[in-house]
Amino acid sequence: MNRVTIELWLWLGNELKGDFQLLSEMRSVKEENVEEGTTIRQLLDHLAKRHPRIAEKVFDLTKRTVYPYVIVNYNDRIISPYEVYDKVLKDGDKITILPMYAGG
Amino acid sequence: MDIGGYLGKILRVDLSRSKTSIEELNESFIKKWVGGVGFGARYLYEEVPAGVQWSDPENRLIWTSGPLSGSGVYGAGTFNVASKGPLTNLAGCSQANGFFGAYLKFSGFDGIIFQGKAPHLVYLLVKDGKAEIREGRHLTGKDVWETEDALRKELGAKEKEVSVYTIGPAGEHGVLYSAIVGDRGHLAAHNGLGTVMGSKNLKAVVTYRGKRNFMIKHADLLKEKNDALFEHAKGFGPFYQWGTGGGFSALYGIGCLPVRNYTTNIFPEHERMNGQYMRTHFEVRPMPCYMCRVGHVKEVTVTEGPYKGFVGEEPEYEQLAAWGPQIGNTDLGAVVMLTKEVDRLGMDCNESSWTIGWVMECYEKGIFSKKDLDGLDMRWGNVEAVRAMLNKISKREGIGDLLAEGVMRASKKIGGEAADWAIYTLKGCTPRSHDHRGGRWAELFDTCLTNTSTLESTWAGVHTQLVDLPVVSDPFSHEEMSTMNAKFNGIRQFDDCLGTCRIASPNLKLQLECLNAVTGWELSLEDVFNTGRRVINQLRVFNFRHGMKKEDERPSRRYGSIPVDGPAQNKNIMEKWEWMLENYYALMGWDPKTGKPLPETLKKLGLEDLIKGL
Repeated sequence: MNRVTIELWLWLGNELKGDFQLLSEMRSVKEENVEEGTTIRQLLDHLAKRHPRIAEKVFDLTKRTVYPYVIVNYNDRIISPYEVYDKVLKDGDKITILPMYAGG
Repeated sequence: MDIGGYLGKILRVDLSRSKTSIEELNESFIKKWVGGVGFGARYLYEEVPAGVQWSDPENRLIWTSGPLSGSGVYGAGTFNVASKGPLTNLAGCSQANGFFGAYLKFSGFDGIIFQGKAPHLVYLLVKDGKAEIREGRHLTGKDVWETEDALRKELGAKEKEVSVYTIGPAGEHGVLYSAIVGDRGHLAAHNGLGTVMGSKNLKAVVTYRGKRNFMIKHADLLKEKNDALFEHAKGFGPFYQWGTGGGFSALYGIGCLPVRNYTTNIFPEHERMNGQYMRTHFEVRPMPCYMCRVGHVKEVTVTEGPYKGFVGEEPEYEQLAAWGPQIGNTDLGAVVMLTKEVDRLGMDCNESSWTIGWVMECYEKGIFSKKDLDGLDMRWGNVEAVRAMLNKISKREGIGDLLAEGVMRASKKIGGEAADWAIYTLKGCTPRSHDHRGGRWAELFDTCLTNTSTLESTWAGVHTQLVDLPVVSDPFSHEEMSTMNAKFNGIRQFDDCLGTCRIASPNLKLQLECLNAVTGWELSLEDVFNTGRRVINQLRVFNFRHGMKKEDERPSRRYGSIPVDGPAQNKNIMEKWEWMLENYYALMGWDPKTGKPLPETLKKLGLEDLIKGL
């Protein structure tokens, strides 16, 4: 088993309280044990099935992709949507999910 | 006038002759150019021929409301200012919110065109369909807050009885990035429009509130669509709950926060400087614009740190970035202080902070000594030195005289490797306070190709689905991004024709429905694109006539550099720049080699008369 960290930035933190730990008004976090060979897509799929709000806002369970303008950072680097899904998670990895929006 | 939303009147103010006159707008002109930036673009082209420099009395300063200003659409107090601006010596268009756009119409006018130069400082008073040029010498040297107070007192007007837009000391001293500031902290800030105002010896413009005096064609429909717009705005980004600062940390997460003049992208203090922190730690009071229900504009009292007790406008995202990470400052209270200071002096926070950040980098690396900087210790994060420097710039005192020229000109004058550290576009304007080398490549490209001197086409490359365009899947795709910028172009300019606020009205289709309800028109989304593209092509032809070169549609070396760390480390936008330009030009209907609009493009947009201008 590998232990990975998932952070949600800017939204959903309050709504997932209980499973995710709220670190601040804009950041919530949880750690998850995943089996060897688990990809980012499989992790997101798993989270979306467990949390309807993640299925609604982050990961489209029908298309099995993140929604438009959702950014996934892998170990604090933006990762291309073309490679994000097949990335195999290692022990200690961190996934950050945050929205891309206009304005500001 | 039979079209709802308009008075059909433009006020012309000849400052040289101290005369005002009123001109009628005809319906075909109105429908073709809609208002705001559309009116500004067309008047600028017709009245400012090639050869006129930004500082010439023959230059125009064009203030225009839009058909939705004062219509009841929430937050629609916005107006546009257009002129030939000093940073680029090309077109400059910038919008300010607040109340002025609505009050101007209630006072009887869709817009004001200033021409000439007054013999001494004056201000303009607009009330009940009349205008008067008044003595303004007693306002000399006053900052924008003092000017607002002085004029209200002089006129015996209550706070919301008049709208006042003014220049500060910077505009009077010819700082090239002076802004037009009013309604307690709103700015038309880009490309030195306040500098143009100062060059005309025009200190301020005051409009009375008046009463709505134009028709709304379908009031019930407008109410329905306006409410729908508000519901959409509540869920649009983090702005309703947290203001524009609510996205500060998310921008850090995608590498878009400018940190120490782009020398790094690491700023772990971001969570003590975002909108969420500010609104849960500082005292916050509403300061809404005209009829705004979203109300993202606030006033704050600092509750901690060295500036505890300081009262100022709540910094918007750009000010948080400009006076926080860009200058190496980690104290949120100091951001509030510097935000108020730069506004008070009447300068654009973006150009100011790119200039200050560059000075700090030069100081830290030994290019400037303390003596060179008139004794100021401009190390990263020294906010009191920054305050002192801003004041020097605003009066062109000492080193401030050089820095008042803006970061491009100052860095070129110093030369050597320091010239490579400045952030700007080769046209001479600077980006908004982002690091566009992160997940907002769309805005880097847009800023360099702009014809308005600020963002022209994008909404950061996102929300394309709101106007029926495909989504951008990869913000770092050269192909996708340059293509989408071209396909999206037109939307933003149409928006800037309307007199609405982008935060309070963030859905173009609903805005269009509001426009149709107000005017009685039946415009389609295709009409929207065509109008916006007409504005862009109009401004582009103006710019080519005034000397714009395709070679200048590029970022400076630092602006287009590769991030050395952070979320976007090693992303390189420049490796396909020439390809991106040609792709974009072709999709815009411009010559892929020269960037000039093709005759068939101009004909399609009803701009045949511009062909000879190229």
